[in-house]
Amino acid sequence: MSDITTFRSATEETPLARRVLIGIAAGGLGLLVFAPLIVVFAAALQQGLAAAIASLGNQDALSAIKLTLIITAISLPLNAAFGIASAWFITKFDFRGKAFLITLIDLPFSVSPVVAGLCIILMFGTNSLVGGWLVASGYPIVFALPGIVLATMFVTFPFVARELIPVMIEQGRTEEEAALTLGASGWRVFLTVTLPNIRWALLYGVLLCNARAMGEFGAVAVVSGKIRGQTATMPITIEMLYNEYLSVAAFSMAAVLALLALVTLLLKTALELRLADQLSASNRH
Amino acid sequence: MRIEIDEIAKSFGTTAALHPVSFAIPSGALVALLGPSGSGKTTLLRILGGLEFPESGRVMFDGVDATGLSVQDRRAGFVFQSYALFRHMTVFENIGYGLNARPRAARPPKAEITRRVTKLLDLIQLPEIGARYPSQLSGGQRQRVALARALAIEPRMLLLDEPFGALDAKVRRELRQGLRDIHDETGLTTVFVTHDQEEAMELADLVVVMSMGRIEQIGKPQDIRARPATDFVREFITV
Amino acid sequence: MNKPLIHRSPMPGLGLSMGITITMLSLVVLLPISALLLKGATFGLDNIWETVNRERVWAALYLSFRLSLFAALFNLVFGVILAWVLVRYRFPGRRILDAAVDLPFALPTAVAGIALTALYAPNGVFGSIAKELGFKIAYTQWGIFIALIFVGLPFVTRTVQPVVQEIEHEVEEASATLGASRAHTIRRVIIPMLMPAALTGFALALARAVGEYGSVIFIAGNIPLKTEIAPLLIVIQLEEFNYDAASAIGIAMLLISFAMLLVINLIQVWSRRRIGYV
Repeated sequence: MSDITTFRSATEETPLARRVLIGIAAGGLGLLVFAPLIVVFAAALQQGLAAAIASLGNQDALSAIKLTLIITAISLPLNAAFGIASAWFITKFDFRGKAFLITLIDLPFSVSPVVAGLCIILMFGTNSLVGGWLVASGYPIVFALPGIVLATMFVTFPFVARELIPVMIEQGRTEEEAALTLGASGWRVFLTVTLPNIRWALLYGVLLCNARAMGEFGAVAVVSGKIRGQTATMPITIEMLYNEYLSVAAFSMAAVLALLALVTLLLKTALELRLADQLSASNRH
Repeated sequence: MRIEIDEIAKSFGTTAALHPVSFAIPSGALVALLGPSGSGKTTLLRILGGLEFPESGRVMFDGVDATGLSVQDRRAGFVFQSYALFRHMTVFENIGYGLNARPRAARPPKAEITRRVTKLLDLIQLPEIGARYPSQLSGGQRQRVALARALAIEPRMLLLDEPFGALDAKVRRELRQGLRDIHDETGLTTVFVTHDQEEAMELADLVVVMSMGRIEQIGKPQDIRARPATDFVREFITV
Repeated sequence: MNKPLIHRSPMPGLGLSMGITITMLSLVVLLPISALLLKGATFGLDNIWETVNRERVWAALYLSFRLSLFAALFNLVFGVILAWVLVRYRFPGRRILDAAVDLPFALPTAVAGIALTALYAPNGVFGSIAKELGFKIAYTQWGIFIALIFVGLPFVTRTVQPVVQEIEHEVEEASATLGASRAHTIRRVIIPMLMPAALTGFALALARAVGEYGSVIFIAGNIPLKTEIAPLLIVIQLEEFNYDAASAIGIAMLLISFAMLLVINLIQVWSRRRIGYV
């Protein structure tokens, strides 16, 4: 009798085709993603770990790290609040123009960060009506912290809302309605019913938002004025160091951000497993 | 075409889906594989269609060993429980798919394909729906389109997995008669899987009652009703 | 029939959530963009045209959109393969590959820029190999192409993956029982099913590439007429405080982007309507 265990399923590719496709996938990611990542660390450590750490210890580097942390600390909660509010508004109410509103929220994805920075300069720059008045009153926005925060918020604006909306649509309104019939107040419904249901999606959105906020370059480059020690964020400092041929210093700071990116990916993978569990659990009812 | 199933066995992991089973289906018969879920009836149907392969035993078509024949070469018209219509194709394209998929040398000319698809649309009594997409059809219409698509390849046999499972009671009765008519008109050996004893008894010439990967009884509907061979059969057919 | 603007609902928080949404959206996104459009309006259509209609600007716009299109097309093909491999095949290292797809989202563009430059410059690991073979990658359009592939890499994969997951096994089996070879099934059944999602990813990758600045300027060399991208032109104008010219180029970029996205959206609506939901 023939060896019938070797029959191939009708819905699979040949082993050769599989191997070729896996090879393309792994090779492509190797060249485009893994190699640059390795290079960052290799270049940072070319003169040893001590040199790399030392390059991060000077005044400008420290102020850049501090500035990036401050910007993230301001823009992240604001965008999270916007994400929650807009997702609530969009998924819990029916109104005309909903699709248009979603398009507007997604708008920053199709606007170049450089153009975003340009828009903020035109709105709040010294030459503008609003900006002129603000500068005169001693609150400059462009070439100062508020401008960088605005630019960061612009480019990261859709992240949280985009993660929350599909999850909240999926979960519907019945649980909230049930809580309301039981006499719970609005805040109580949100805190005890909605928030536990969306917490992983919220975290996921905040994580993506955080990665982009710490790393934003184009928009910040335009509005920050790149004043060393004052408005130079970590990515801007990397550019300045790189252009001054201070390779170790540039790559050391890059390595810090790359490590952060790796942590982000790790958390993201963990969260995705959680989200998948949650979604499949809610699908089971 | 006469189908012989000779000591077919199959397991998934450690659970045996089919203990060695054997029986023969005479040419032109309309056979029901009847049993509860997990009885192995769908596995057996998929082995006939070439979608699964048995661990041991043989499948013979007209006395020729077809055990290792690939699904593409088997020419078994298979109707899936979910119908598995291609939703990016019109009804017309769905039905003509098998003919268009043939290698160039064996492919009928375009006009011939059009003629055959039109004829099949008439056969399923839906001549007007060729230009529609599956999403625009009712459940009953989808089932008939799936049947026409399977018939288009001029199959050697017709295999149907719970063909009426997803339909409401009224449509189900209509389509039962439809299947009977198409079977009588084409004379194809037809095997369908069902868990509904009434459906099996009413429609089939021959009923194979299965449970836990074994055959409990094979016989004409009236014989099974009159003389159930095991306790399982007696209980299963008296709902 | 007169539909109300907002349907009555027992849900709490309408005023608050609508207020936050509209206020923040206006302040962060809409007002700044209208400032750009207003600037364009006061500058005048003729002046905008005069600013844009110069060889250097056309060269930059053409370069940005052409290379973005090529990079997005590359990502369309590579992204679909990647999604397929990650969902369908089981092999050691799959989880790591899956996580790595998101690196371009997580890695700051400036970091990616200097890393890619270090790799593909003539003295870099890959650049030196290319040099042996008589190629130059960094500081040419090839370098820009690679950077744009990098930033757009995750989009197609991430939009196509869930669709691959949802393909019913039975549809592929049906194709096989009808006599179709595996290649025929992939070409005629699977790829058409993935197309709408792949196009969404393509559009996102394209939009991202057109606007990309951080990862490109390091590897581009920034030679006028040759490797100068449109966003860089805006930055150059801004550094000279030439807001009118910067706005003109910015508006031109916005218009071309929106026109492209509109076309892609129409293609998508068309293909979605065809597929519908069964």
